[in-house]
Parts: sequence; C-alpha cells; structure tokens
Amino acid sequence: MASAAQSRIKSISYAKYGYMFIAPFFLVYCFFQIWPLIYTFILSFKGNQANYTQFVGLDNYSQILFGTGSSQGSAAVHEEFARSLGNTFVLWFGNFIPQILLSLLLAVWFTDAKVKLPGKGFFKIVMYMPNIITAASVAALYVNLFGDSKYYFVNATLMKLGMISEPVQFVAGITASKVMVMFIQTWLWFGNTMIMLMSGIMGISPSLFEAADIDGANSTQQFFKITLPLLQPIMVYTLVTSMIGGLQMFDLPYLYHNGANFSKQLETVAVYIYYNFNKGTVEQANYGYAGAASIIIFAITAVLGSITFYMNRDKDAIAKKKQRKKAEKQMKAKMKQGGLSI
Amino acid sequence: MSTKSQYGEVKDDYHKKIMAKSIAILVVCILLTLICLVPIYILIVNSTHSSNDLAQNPSRFFFGAHLGDNIKTLMNNLPEDAGKAAKRVAAQYSSAFNLGKGYLNSLIIAGFSTVLTVFFSAMTAYGLTVYEFKLNSAAYTFIIGVMMIPVQVSSAGFVRFMYSLHLINSFIPLIVPAIAAPAVIFFMVSYMKSSFPLEIVEAARIDGCTEFRTFVTIAIPMMKPAIAVQAIFAFVANWNNYYTQNMILKNADYATVPIMVSKVLAFDKNVDNGVNYLCITLSILPIVVVYFILSKFIIAGVALGGVKE
Amino acid sequence: MSKLTRTLALLASIAVVSTAFVACGGNTESTSSAGGNTSSAAPAENNSSEAGGESSAEAGGESSAEAGGESSAEGGESSAEGGEAGGELEAGAVNLPDTDDTLTIVCWTDADLQNMFDVYANHSDANVVYQNCGDNGSAASTQYATYLNSGDDVDLFVAEAGWILNYINDDSMSAPLSDLGITADDYKDAYQYTVEIGTDNNGVLKAASWQAAAGGYAYNTTLAEQYLGVTSADDMQAKIADWDKFAATAEELKTASEGKVTMAATIGGLWQAFSTAKNAAWVKDGAIQTDVAKEFTDMVKGYVDNGYVNPNVEQWTTDWTNVGLQGETLGYFYSTWCLGEGAQLEQNGGTDGNWNIVIGPQEFFWGGSWLCVSPNCNTATEASKFVKAFTTDASIMEEYALYSGDFTNNKVAMDKIVADGSNSNPLLGGQDQFAILSDVAAGIKMSDSITKYDQGLKDTFLDTLKKNISSDTDTIISTFTSQALADNPDLTA
Repeated sequence: MASAAQSRIKSISYAKYGYMFIAPFFLVYCFFQIWPLIYTFILSFKGNQANYTQFVGLDNYSQILFGTGSSQGSAAVHEEFARSLGNTFVLWFGNFIPQILLSLLLAVWFTDAKVKLPGKGFFKIVMYMPNIITAASVAALYVNLFGDSKYYFVNATLMKLGMISEPVQFVAGITASKVMVMFIQTWLWFGNTMIMLMSGIMGISPSLFEAADIDGANSTQQFFKITLPLLQPIMVYTLVTSMIGGLQMFDLPYLYHNGANFSKQLETVAVYIYYNFNKGTVEQANYGYAGAASIIIFAITAVLGSITFYMNRDKDAIAKKKQRKKAEKQMKAKMKQGGLSI
Repeated sequence: MSTKSQYGEVKDDYHKKIMAKSIAILVVCILLTLICLVPIYILIVNSTHSSNDLAQNPSRFFFGAHLGDNIKTLMNNLPEDAGKAAKRVAAQYSSAFNLGKGYLNSLIIAGFSTVLTVFFSAMTAYGLTVYEFKLNSAAYTFIIGVMMIPVQVSSAGFVRFMYSLHLINSFIPLIVPAIAAPAVIFFMVSYMKSSFPLEIVEAARIDGCTEFRTFVTIAIPMMKPAIAVQAIFAFVANWNNYYTQNMILKNADYATVPIMVSKVLAFDKNVDNGVNYLCITLSILPIVVVYFILSKFIIAGVALGGVKE
Repeated sequence: MSKLTRTLALLASIAVVSTAFVACGGNTESTSSAGGNTSSAAPAENNSSEAGGESSAEAGGESSAEAGGESSAEGGESSAEGGEAGGELEAGAVNLPDTDDTLTIVCWTDADLQNMFDVYANHSDANVVYQNCGDNGSAASTQYATYLNSGDDVDLFVAEAGWILNYINDDSMSAPLSDLGITADDYKDAYQYTVEIGTDNNGVLKAASWQAAAGGYAYNTTLAEQYLGVTSADDMQAKIADWDKFAATAEELKTASEGKVTMAATIGGLWQAFSTAKNAAWVKDGAIQTDVAKEFTDMVKGYVDNGYVNPNVEQWTTDWTNVGLQGETLGYFYSTWCLGEGAQLEQNGGTDGNWNIVIGPQEFFWGGSWLCVSPNCNTATEASKFVKAFTTDASIMEEYALYSGDFTNNKVAMDKIVADGSNSNPLLGGQDQFAILSDVAAGIKMSDSITKYDQGLKDTFLDTLKKNISSDTDTIISTFTSQALADNPDLTA
C-alpha cells in the first residue's frame, strides 16, 4: 500500500514547487535590486544637474576615472572620487587591522583552558555590546563627547588633567577625525569578530593542543602552528564580510561632523554617491556621477569578491575536478586517435 | 625528598606563570570593558545635567539633578511661566524626537522586515534544497553571487525609482525588499543541508500534506535555531539601517530612531546639550537593556555563524 | 521606459499584495485608509495593507490622473469648509482645491513658524500645523525635493534665500501665488527685493516673504566698557564704522583682554557681513565669481593670524553659543531673526540686557525666508489667508514684528513701529533694533546677487577656508574653485 503511494508520489514532478518557493525572492530581488541597479547603470550614462535628461555616453566615467570630460571640473571630480576611494580603504584598513589583532588575541585568551579568568561571560557580553548600538547614535555619542573645543567632555577632561593645553580637533581635524572613525569602527566590531573567532578556535579539536602540549610546544608556538592555520577559513570569512562592510561604510563617516555638512576628509565612496544624488531638486543633483561611481564600486566589489572566492576555494575539490577533466580529455584524445586509426 | 621538592618548585613556578598571565589578561579585559562602558556611562551622566552646567564644566563624572527638567523639555511639558527660549527648545526637540513614535516606527519596520526576511529566506532555502529543478543550481549560484553587492551600488536608481512610484515617506521600500536577503538564504541553505532530513518531506507527502503546509508545519519548526539566529541579526540590521531609512523617510511622522538621532545631531538652532544627551541616551539605553537580557542567547547566535551586515 | 516601469510596478504590486496575504494573515488591526495622503495626525501604523493598496492604485492609474480626480471629486466639500474659519482674515480668489481642513506648512526651522502661529491664533481658529523636515538650512534643500515629491500633505513650504530659486523655478515643486489669489499688486508696501526674488524666471510670482533680513553687529556692552571703554552704541559704531576701524578695534580689544576676547565670533559671521554688502553674485553667466571670496580670504587670514577671530568656532554649533555665554567674544553678526525673545541673541548669552546692536562696518543682510505654495495644496483658502496675513496685512505684520523681533516685510508697519517708538527690546537693553536696521532693510539689493547655487557654494567656500586657513589665498581660492566645479558640473571657472 505504502509502496504504491510512494511510487505514485515519485511519479509526480515537484519541480514546479521549487520554482514557486523561490519565486518571491526573485520577484522582489529583481524589482527592488536588479531594476534599480539597471536604472543606476542608465543614470551613469546621463548628464548631471541641468543636463540630467541628456545622454552623455561615457563622459561621467571618463571624468571620474581619468579626470577628462565635458565639465571644467573634471579633474576635480576625478580627484574627489579618488580621494573618497582612498578614504574608504584607509578607514577600512585602519579599523580592520587593529580589530582582527585585538579579537584574535582575546579569542585565544578566552579559549585558553589554562588561563583562569573570572567573569569570562561578562566580558564577552560587554565587548559585544557596542555592536548592537545604532551607528547614528554612536556617531552622535562620539561627536558630543569628543567635540573640538574645551566645551566637550574629552577635551575638557584632558585639559583638566593637564595632558593637553589646547583642545584637540577630534572631529574637524583631518588626521584626528580619521583616527577617531577607525577607533569607533574597531570599538563597534571587535566584540563580534572576537566571538566568531572564538567559535572557530573552539571548533579545533582539543587533542591537537594536547598533543602539542605533550610535545612541549609553548603557547606562542601553538598559536602560530595550530590555531592560526586552522582558523584560516573563518579569517577569510571575516575579511570578506568586513571588506564588504568597509566598501559601504556610510553612517559613521557621514554623521561624524560638526556644523551642517559632512566632513570632506571622511568622505567615503558611499558618502560620495549619496551626496551626489541627494542634493535637492533633480537639477541640483549629480545623478550621472553618482551612477557612474556606483557602477565602478560594483565592479570593484565584483573583482574583490572573485579574488577572495578564488583564494578561498576548496583546493582539493578543484584539484579533483582538474584531474577528472584531464582524464576526460585523455579519454577523448584516445577515442579520437582510435577513431582515426579505424 | 629532593626530587619531590624540585618537582614542587617547577609546579609553583608554572602556577605563578599562569597566575601572572591571568592577571595580565584580566587587566586588559577590564580596560576594554571600561572602554566599552565609560562612553555610555558619561552619556547617561551628561543627560542628567543642564546645558548651562555642561557649558561651565563639561568634564562631569557624577549624576546631576536636571534629568527631570531635560525630560520635561523633551516631552514639551514645561511649566507655564517658562521663557520663550526654553519653550522654543522644547518645541523643537519634542517635534523632532518623539520617542514613542520613533520606537513604534522602528519596531514596525524592523519587525515586519525580520518576519519577511526569515520566512521568505527559509522558503527560498527550502525550495532550493528540497526540490530538484532545472534552474536550481543556477539560482543558488545567483544568490551567492549577489550576496556581495553593497546596497549603495543601486541606491541612486532605487531612490529615483521609489520617487517615480511615489513610495517616498512610505514603509514599503524599507519592508518589502527584506523578502530578498541573499546572505540569510545562504546561511539557511547550509543549515538545511546539514540538519534537515529530506525523508521527512517524503513522509509528509505520503500523509497527503500539501507542499506549502509541509514547509510551514514541518520544515519551519525544524529550522527554529537557524531562524532565531537570523531573526536577531535581521532585526538589529533593520533597526540600525540608517542609510535606506534616511533616503526614504522625510516626514517626521515616519521618523525612526536612527533618523531622529541624526536630526538631533544636526540641530543648529536652539540646541540644549543636556537634552541632546538625553535623546542619545534614550536611543541607546532600551536597546542595551534588551541586549543584556538576551545577551547569552545573542552571543551564542553570533558564535553559530552570524553574518555581518 | 515608462512602460517598463509600469509593468514592473504591476508586478511589484502583485508581489506586495501576495506578501500582505502571506505575512499579515494574523494581523487584523491594520486599518485601511484610502488614497495616498496620510495626515500628519495619523502615523502609518497600517503600513502593509495600506501600502499594498497604494502601489496597486498607481500601477493602474498613474499619478497625475489621481491628483486631478481627487480635487474634482471632493470639490463639494470645500465651499462648506471655507465658511467656517475665522471671519477676520481675507482670502484671495483661490484656484486650488480646498479639500483638507488642516493647513500644513513644511519648514526647515520651526522658530519663525512658532512665532507666527502664536500671532495667528489671535486672528484665526484655523488648524495650522508645521512639518519640520530639514534639520538645518543646508540639509533642508536636499530634504525638500524628496519630501515634496512624496505625496504627503504639503500646502505651503518655507524656502530660504540660499536655495529658493531651485524650487520656484520648478513647476512640479511650486505653484504661482496667483493660485491663492495673491498678486504682485498686494506687495506695494513690501521691500521690493523680496518680490523680485519671489518671481521665477518666467516672471510669475511664486513666493512671498514675511521678513526683510537686515543684519547688524550685536555686542556685549559689559565687555565693550571693560576693555574698550565704550559706553554707548554710537561710540561703538564709530569704532567699527569700516573694516579698517573694525580691525583696529579688534587689536585694541585683544591687547586689553590679553587675547581672551575675540572681536567676531566666527568666520561665517564675518563672511555674511562682508559678502552680502558687496552685492556680488557667486555665479555670473555660468561662471563662478571669486573676487569677493579672494578679498575676504585676504582679510580674514589677517584676522586669524592676529587672533581677532577663532577659526575653530563654527556657526550654529555649541561652540558658537558658548563663546557668547562665556564672554569669549565681543559680538556676533546677527540677522533680524536672531534678535527676538528666545532666538539666537538670547541663547548666546544675551539674557541680561547687556547687549546692543549697531550697523557695523558695512550694511548687510542675511538670509530671509519665503512662503511658497505647493502644487498639491489642498487647503487653498486657509493657505491664502495665512500668506496674506503675514506678507501683506500691515497690522498683523506689526503685531508679528513686535512679538518676534523680526524685521517684517512691510514698510508701513515698520515705519509705524519706529515712529511710535513702540518697540523696545529688553535683550538689547531697551534698544529698538528696527530703528537701527530700517535703513539697512531699505538698502537690500539681494535680488541682483542671488543664484540657485548660493547655499552650496557658500558652504563649500567656508569649509575650504576653515580647513586651509594657513595656506595662502590663491591656494584656498583654487581649492574652493575645483571643489565647486566638481559639485556643480554646470558651472565654469
């Protein structure tokens, strides 16, 4: 009886359900992501400000990438884009490096069975906490605590302690503000990275460490010979996610400023794009530049993504695939030979 | 005897070393804890001082007596005889920072988005793992491929498109796109592949269960751990999503918590620093409290393989 | 492309509706409100289902048709409502619908409107609300475009001099004042520059201002007496009658106070006084003009080097307020809208009546706001009454001037106040700021120099100047020019 039902079920094709189940995703994705992306692509071939309806070909790209084009400010457009790209990488790098080092150190400490650390759970919880706070609130918090004059907490305190005589420009200062943004980003993310690395380390078989202990390896050796190599996949994962996050870094650089306008020294690519298309009426905005910059970033993401995928690919599987292909080729070649010989 | 004492010395030495290391680590951890908590503490302290007190001495470490006044200003609940300047400050803050409305809006957006994200991601993941169809692997590859695309890349076109659909000042562009969350699907697919037995689907079919019901009544309960983890992250990400909300919501009635905070940050007239701090505190504190209540669960979730924004 | 858009919109609405079905099965509380306009009183709690209706309606009908249908369909209601409102105020012959009973004004700063509403309450019981959508002048311009496009209720909106031209020259953003039955003839007593600015490129009157934004130099009399020995406003004016004297007095002040007190609070304030007096446009024939900027840079670099102004203090920040409160600056350059009770003068330390205002080195003006009509205005009669009350009615404008301290845009009203001596500002120790500023107001020629690029160029210039204050003038100007060109590809150098 059951087997009859089973065979009846087997004979039904369920493929259509598969399409039905994945349809909402594709409909919504195409509508809210793909079409806007295509729209952005179209915008990148159109003019800016008063010329927004005009088709200008690759003008925006040549202005942004090479500084040559129809507008007198082409060189400056290129400069600004290059600067914002530079800022993006500097700010990302400046928070990723301290973040990964600190997280790695903490993760190793927290997972080290030999270290007796009271309140481990509490530390973990507190260190992850900044990550859940809204970036807008974080920016507001730091702007208000680290304001540029002696009327703000940090400067006032440092001056009271006699550590500085003049207030430090934590917000408007060109280098100081960048360092601050790196610091805040690290502050926001080190707990998250730490916990992910911890789960990675805990996934490593304890017998490896035991064996190393018996062989007399000290903790530094264990770290470099066991922990680090085995953590590679999760490190790469952290790198990739952090990089994607870094490329779209917006909230903090955009909101971390005094006065009415965002700080130019913190302008990232995301801020550049937003600033250019969000400038008031359509005749004020630079949709062309924003579109072209978006597409360029898209290309950069695609390249970086492919590189990391390439680096992180399953080498064994690929090697096997290659072997199989090779074998197939040989087979074919043989068959051809055979065919000829016949 | 002598060997024993020698052994004891080595042991003592070893213990001392471990002890020293532990203490050093403890000191570092306490330092980091302070770095995490002190800004929040100072923020709360400052929100209990008046703007004037803060101007005279901005370096305050202890609570003041003006929290009530600041709250009254923020609620626009000043005494009748308050000066016009004070009233103006109150009117400005209360219209831009309506905490109840802001939290409600944020909750609506984050709540619905989260439900849509986890439900449809689970559904898509189910479709990809349970059924075999021609475009299956192509669809999965597509999802992995687009996982990397930053939102900013399409935002210029997105805003113009929403413009032309008259969806500005509407929650739709913030909620409906949550249906398509490639990273969550990716996570769910790998979860299902490792811990969802396909035989159950067959068994359900034999019992005459429809495909959709199988998914809702059998698959979803089995995927609870993955759904819970992703729900937390989706909620936090949507709650904190200042970028898209700021592009779409321009009417104070629809303002969410991040937008309200950015508005307060941008005030250039009638600024009252005490109330400023209070606003920031109110935007942070409830989240932090909820976090501490759920922290164990959240930390476990992160360890399970959270996805960064 | 529009066809494609429409098809996609249809697809989306199907997706949305199906979503609402699947996701909100248990959510019964969602109230469905018809049409796109949600009034400010009711926040959109009912997002999912309402939204579904909204987008599907659009997919079928397209927006322009919708607007037309709405106004004609509900035309019957309007006449009934017109009669209810306070009888004292006059409305023009309106040409826009009257379907809503709440007048919604979108603004970017609510200080003026709060004053207006207080005054208006004495004359009308109409339901007037404001929507504060910009957080500061620069951001407002960018917020408005999106907001006005959203379909949310807007009847009137307030636009600032720095960017008003973008809005009145765009018919999708603003409607002519004649639609509210208001014409240029109503502004015979107004300061003519406000009418000229409110007129678009085609000669249509699109905006009306309630203020003539004359400015002056307000100073702390206690500090002036202590360090400069100045006891009267006339003496003070004599000491700063031109920029040379201003600098000489600044030097005297610096020596006397041992560098503790600066002459001007911010570079931004100095720029306001210096540049507007020159009446030079930022842009002429599509080319950026930098002569005034160059002159100013030369001057202000000297000021910074000599400590006459602190370059790190920025306008509209806490520092700006604190230098006044803590007595670190002798004075501010203020516009009239800073001088009323509760406004900037008071906030920046002018609570004890120990401040005075004088004209300063040059007669200048600063900003000014206009009321513009949204094409989607659906409270036309009330809107007409409101605009007329604050931009044409001499008696209400007099009342407003006395209440708010703002210099109103009506010569008759202002002359009357000055002649009657009815204004005495306690913050200025009983001075009548209108008497001092009335000549300044009469001399404003802003209409020659205003361009639609002003706000952006001014912000860019001051930002560049502040960040590069130690560079030489040519570097600062060329840095500014290249940034300005990058921001505005329409322009040339």
